[in-house]
Amino acid sequence: MSQDVRQFGEVLETDVLIVGGGLAGSNAAIGAAETGARVLIADKSAIERCGDTAGGVDHFMAYLGSGEPWDTREGYLEYVARIARGAVNLDVQNAVFCRGLNAAIERMDRIGCTLKQQDGKFYRTASLGQPGPYFINFNGKQLKPALAAEARRLGSRFLEKCAIAGLLTDDGGVAGAVGFHIRTGAFYIVKAKATILATGNTNRIFDNPTGLPFNTWLCPANTGAAQSMAFEAGATLANMEFVRITVVPRGFSAAGLNALTGMGGKIVNVSGEDFMPRYHPAGGRAPRSKLVEGVMREIQDGRGPVYVDCRHLSPSELGHLKKTLGYDKDTLPDFIEQKGIDLGKDLLELMPSEGMQGGPSEVCSSGIMIDEKAASTVFGLFAAGDCADQMRCVHICTTGGYLAGIKAAEYALDLRRTPVVSASQVGELKEKTFSPLRASGSIPYRMLEDAMRKMLWQNAGPARNEKSLAVALGKLEKLGEHYSNVSASNYHEMMRVLETGQILQVAKMMCTASLARKETRFGVYHNRVDYPQTQQEFEGQITIRKSSTGFQTAFKKLRYDAVPRP
Amino acid sequence: MPPLIDMEKCSGCGTCDAHCPLDVIHFDSEKGKPEVKYPDECWHCGSCRLDCPEEAITIRFGPEMLCL
Repeated sequence: MSQDVRQFGEVLETDVLIVGGGLAGSNAAIGAAETGARVLIADKSAIERCGDTAGGVDHFMAYLGSGEPWDTREGYLEYVARIARGAVNLDVQNAVFCRGLNAAIERMDRIGCTLKQQDGKFYRTASLGQPGPYFINFNGKQLKPALAAEARRLGSRFLEKCAIAGLLTDDGGVAGAVGFHIRTGAFYIVKAKATILATGNTNRIFDNPTGLPFNTWLCPANTGAAQSMAFEAGATLANMEFVRITVVPRGFSAAGLNALTGMGGKIVNVSGEDFMPRYHPAGGRAPRSKLVEGVMREIQDGRGPVYVDCRHLSPSELGHLKKTLGYDKDTLPDFIEQKGIDLGKDLLELMPSEGMQGGPSEVCSSGIMIDEKAASTVFGLFAAGDCADQMRCVHICTTGGYLAGIKAAEYALDLRRTPVVSASQVGELKEKTFSPLRASGSIPYRMLEDAMRKMLWQNAGPARNEKSLAVALGKLEKLGEHYSNVSASNYHEMMRVLETGQILQVAKMMCTASLARKETRFGVYHNRVDYPQTQQEFEGQITIRKSSTGFQTAFKKLRYDAVPRP
Repeated sequence: MPPLIDMEKCSGCGTCDAHCPLDVIHFDSEKGKPEVKYPDECWHCGSCRLDCPEEAITIRFGPEMLCL
């Protein structure tokens, strides 16, 4: 068996394989290693700098029990139920976040990336529909290196510059994965008792308003690897219909809105009007989807450009803002400076960001449907971070990643059988992975992606209807037919072609799930123009999985009438 | 626009190559220096500048982003 497979490449064996070494993946490595499992993390980059938080992060949502009603577990779950109703599962949220919160705060201290300020206190800000300042503002510039160091210290092995190309399955579930080195082309076959997918959401899927496809709010290397691979392995996914859009500085799809509005920056139109109260009672602290809608409308209706106005902030507020703005996006202060802008004196122009396929809120995502143990519907397959339907944002990726590591390790260590890696499966996957090098056509990956992005934004973007979604699916089929002509001349390009295929797969799921949700929910994040109301009957998730005819969708009702027990 | 590497300050350690999340920077072992091989795929995350031990990297934005 091993003999057969060795002909294809290097065979590696582990208890827990983690695909994606970002925030969730590295927390998972720590959890798994602490539980006593052998851990292997594979990532397209180095674990020190990869994923959404590569260059740093500045916010961690938490309730801290200060005595205020919002600052409790119940208050937090009430807020979650309000902003993510119909997509978030409270029982899973409670299990993957609430239960692990205290340990996460302690773990951040222990690894050398404390959430506290130098005076030992938390600096907290409110935004995006929160009833109180849940966002702990902190310096997370060295968070990834600190997590990588801890994972290494605990004995995790790293497989870096490795693109995982597909999951291996046997009768019992997932048996591991295959991948390749993006410089040398070395092919890896990883045999694993448990696999955690932690590769984030799907970017580069919609037209980028700047015309630069890698100018994305979340990491452009996150292209739906988990979603597409888990789908192929037969797992159930959920929340795949949603589009995520945010508001960013014009020209640069950079994170930082949180910091600007959280500190008191006002979003204004060309007349200087703080227009958000017209769109939502919380004004500039409205949920993100409302902010996006407001900004889009003001620009569309000719009241743009739209700006963030920080000129009224106190000197100490401005000082804190200028100091911390580079924590979430390291190069944002450079951008603002090179634009010739001083936030204390000038307005900073904003724009709606590119669309992404991702979760409709800060507290849940889109992707592999997980239970309270971060397990998917396929044995041996777990999910963490943005690619898991019930994890999202720094706080849940931290606690939930760690939990997924523990649960996957427990599963692996309890497993009585050895997963079987099939030579024919490996051979097929290898052939498929390397085929762009031998493609008879010569379409660059970028060309196919550009066409897909523009088409999807028109038909499945911020406004959708039954016909436009059907048209999108038809065109995605056609694009798929051209996919075999997309060529690569080296392994870096081969990685890009793999990514294009993943995005295409996610796009099909997104459109199919969108057709199934015959209502509008979360505003522009799923806007069915033909079903403009939010319907009680759809208060739950659209699930999707592979079937003999392609895709099978179903509906899973969610409950919000009771707060889960601690 | 992609990061600008000052080759005089660069010690050829290869960290920028290893740490770029998008595999944009490729170290040329013959020249002993890094090359920004895929400038269109730069995410402007700043990882290269953050981790360069010689502070040889600057981030400059071009008109395609500043003047949009």
